[in-house]
Amino acid sequence: MIKTGKKLASLFIFFLFVLSCQKSNAQSVSVQATLTETNIFEGESVQLDIAISGTSLSSLERPEIPTIEGLRYLPNRTISSSNYSYINGKPSLTQTFGFQFIAMSPGSFNVPSIKIKVNNKEYAAKPISFKILDPKTIDNGDAERSPDIYVRLEASTKNPVVGEQVVADIVLYFKSEVEVSNYNTVPGWKAEGFWKEELNNPAQARSTSVIINGIRYKRARLLQYALFPTKPGELTLSPYSLSVRVRNNRRTSRDPFNFSFGQENKELKTLPVTLNVERPPGIENAEYIGAVGDFEIKRTIKPTSAYVGESVEIITEIKGTGNVPLLNKPEYEFPESLELYNPQENSAITRDNRKIGGSKVFTDIVIARNDGLYTIPEKRIATYNPSSDKYEYTVLPEITFNAEIDPNATVTTLEDMRLDIDPVTGLANWEQKSVIPLKNRKSVFVLMAVPFLLFIGAFGYKTYYDKLTNDSGFARSTKAREMAFSILEEAKKTEDIKESYHKIQKALSRFIADKLNLPIAGISAQRLLEEVKDKKLNSSALADLKRIFEKCETVAYAPNISKEDMETDIQKSRELIKELGKVL
Amino acid sequence: MKVLVLLTSFLFITLTAQSQSSPQVRFDTANDLLEEGKYREALKQYRQIEDSGSSSGPLFLNMGIASVQIDSLGLAKYYFLKAEHFESVKNSAEKALEFVNSQFSRQSAKLPKLPWDKAVDIFKNTPGTFGLFLIGYISLCIALIVIVLDWFNLISLAKRNTIAISLLAITVIMVSLAYYVDYVDQRYDEAVLISEESEVRQNPKESSELVSMAYEGYDLTLDRKKSEEFSGWYYIRLGNGQFGWIKSKGIEIL
Repeated sequence: MIKTGKKLASLFIFFLFVLSCQKSNAQSVSVQATLTETNIFEGESVQLDIAISGTSLSSLERPEIPTIEGLRYLPNRTISSSNYSYINGKPSLTQTFGFQFIAMSPGSFNVPSIKIKVNNKEYAAKPISFKILDPKTIDNGDAERSPDIYVRLEASTKNPVVGEQVVADIVLYFKSEVEVSNYNTVPGWKAEGFWKEELNNPAQARSTSVIINGIRYKRARLLQYALFPTKPGELTLSPYSLSVRVRNNRRTSRDPFNFSFGQENKELKTLPVTLNVERPPGIENAEYIGAVGDFEIKRTIKPTSAYVGESVEIITEIKGTGNVPLLNKPEYEFPESLELYNPQENSAITRDNRKIGGSKVFTDIVIARNDGLYTIPEKRIATYNPSSDKYEYTVLPEITFNAEIDPNATVTTLEDMRLDIDPVTGLANWEQKSVIPLKNRKSVFVLMAVPFLLFIGAFGYKTYYDKLTNDSGFARSTKAREMAFSILEEAKKTEDIKESYHKIQKALSRFIADKLNLPIAGISAQRLLEEVKDKKLNSSALADLKRIFEKCETVAYAPNISKEDMETDIQKSRELIKELGKVL
Repeated sequence: MKVLVLLTSFLFITLTAQSQSSPQVRFDTANDLLEEGKYREALKQYRQIEDSGSSSGPLFLNMGIASVQIDSLGLAKYYFLKAEHFESVKNSAEKALEFVNSQFSRQSAKLPKLPWDKAVDIFKNTPGTFGLFLIGYISLCIALIVIVLDWFNLISLAKRNTIAISLLAITVIMVSLAYYVDYVDQRYDEAVLISEESEVRQNPKESSELVSMAYEGYDLTLDRKKSEEFSGWYYIRLGNGQFGWIKSKGIEIL
């Protein structure tokens, strides 16, 4: 059963429209033929659309389909539709006929010009060339290896000049079995070396069909940016990242009924793209304000007559398409007697039709300090047009304005214009310039060294003091000489010779014991001599020590020892203590 | 007798020569020339005093006044800025600067200084780099004395470690600050453009891209270290924050 209700309704609307337009005398009719694909694989179906548009379609015949070489017509699949719209306040009707074909044999072919009678007049659509590809030429391996989905950054030109607009498209390619439900951009893309402006993007990206390496892909332009190189040389656009939610409609063993379990998020990234940015050619006899594109420059003055002290604006307006955000202010030669103030700058940017455009307005503010006629000389400005690859010159004519003295203004006296400071005379305080940097002042280093040296000395003394207090062996060793000399002093003062020799022995024994940290009591002279011998005391000193020890022990039995002998032995003992001090 | 006469003559000649070269004598001579309206000669005399290494507030103030009279406003601004550093003529110098600045046909935008830069300026003037160093040094000495006295049990402080560490921290901060301020003072100089105009370029080359134009009286901050790399050029920052290279001719460093 074939549904006819919709067709009847559309025909009814169409005839109503035809009747309503019968009296109008619009004559413009256009016929356009399009193929849904121009690269078709053998066995694939393709649709030929013939669209007839016009403000008045009083009589219209269904087009007759000629034989198209390479394609076979499928007669039961013809569709027709009509669309009514207002364009520029005028009604317009488009009647479209769609004819289905199947691709039969590989090769290059043409859809011939299709003729159609509209309003009793014959119109013809332009012929269309197309290719039918042999599926056998597709390398199955390549097809398997080719990614299901990927994103590319496509630059409109690879060799721009500094300041020229480069359109960078972020384009998604995906196979027909892949369905993209949505995408999100990953923020943070930087185009270093470029001024970046986002162009107006369509609310919903439309996809077209392309064949890449024999594989049919859908191509959808997601985003578009206008980039303006700011310096010459090789500049690289870093990878652009996208997060895409996709569903693969290919049935898999895990999802044999294609229940769409295969929805997943994919992170995609473009490859970096390198552009070779060239410098615009040199320029003479004009000022280049960095403008690259198609611009119009205009200079006006407001007002043309002003009072002295009133501000006057010189307005330079630059309008057109190109690097509007990067335009520099032209520099004018203002008369010396004009006071200049910081110029103002305003811009309005448009982003339609893949082009950055708009206007930039520079306002120079000047104030005349004297009355008279002021002239700002003409100015020749160059803008570079990359489409014609040459400079275009605009001469801004000279402008004049008249400054008058305001009759109501208060008059500034000459006194106000004079420096009212008297020179200082008489005696002055004189200083000698001697600023020595801190790093070159030796006194700084000396000053810093003093406390540290004192601190180190104090630390050393503290360590010595602590050891003397806590280490009895160290204390005995340190004080041994002093102690021995004091006992010898006592021996010298003693009248009794035996007692003196007892003290000499005590002094020597005590000194050796203190130095070697040996117990004081109960140690024999023989043991002390052995200890000293181990310390490599020279032989003569050792012999003297032995002799004195023996004399001290035998003094009780040798009554003929004189006081002089004793003093000699005391002196000898002193020397021995000094000698022992060197080795112990 | 002959020896006495010779000695007296020698002393007289020496003292006369010394008095002629004294800055005060030259200053008085220059002031006379200024009053007579011989501004260029006066300025020449003043410059000789400056070149001899002597400086004073009245000297720079008078040099500024002479420069105004010969219509060299950039130079006048330079001398008034120098005079501003001397307390005795500070008010007059400020008033003169106000006048001079109002006379320039082109005014430069001036970004306010960052708080840190302001602080460095304050430290530079009071107490100065050596003053900062001395504060740190005294703090160090006190810290070391506290530690040593404690070692020998000569004092007993409950928070000895806290006091010593705090004093050492103050030392580190003050000495570091002193050296940083000294570094900034040595590296960056304030300068004034005294020529009518000069180009500020991206690089120290005539052919380099033009950054901006500088006009008489513009305040510049000069990077001395970077400027040493190229003879005849200074690397500067303009009052509006732009950087670039400018020819050294026509620039007076404060």
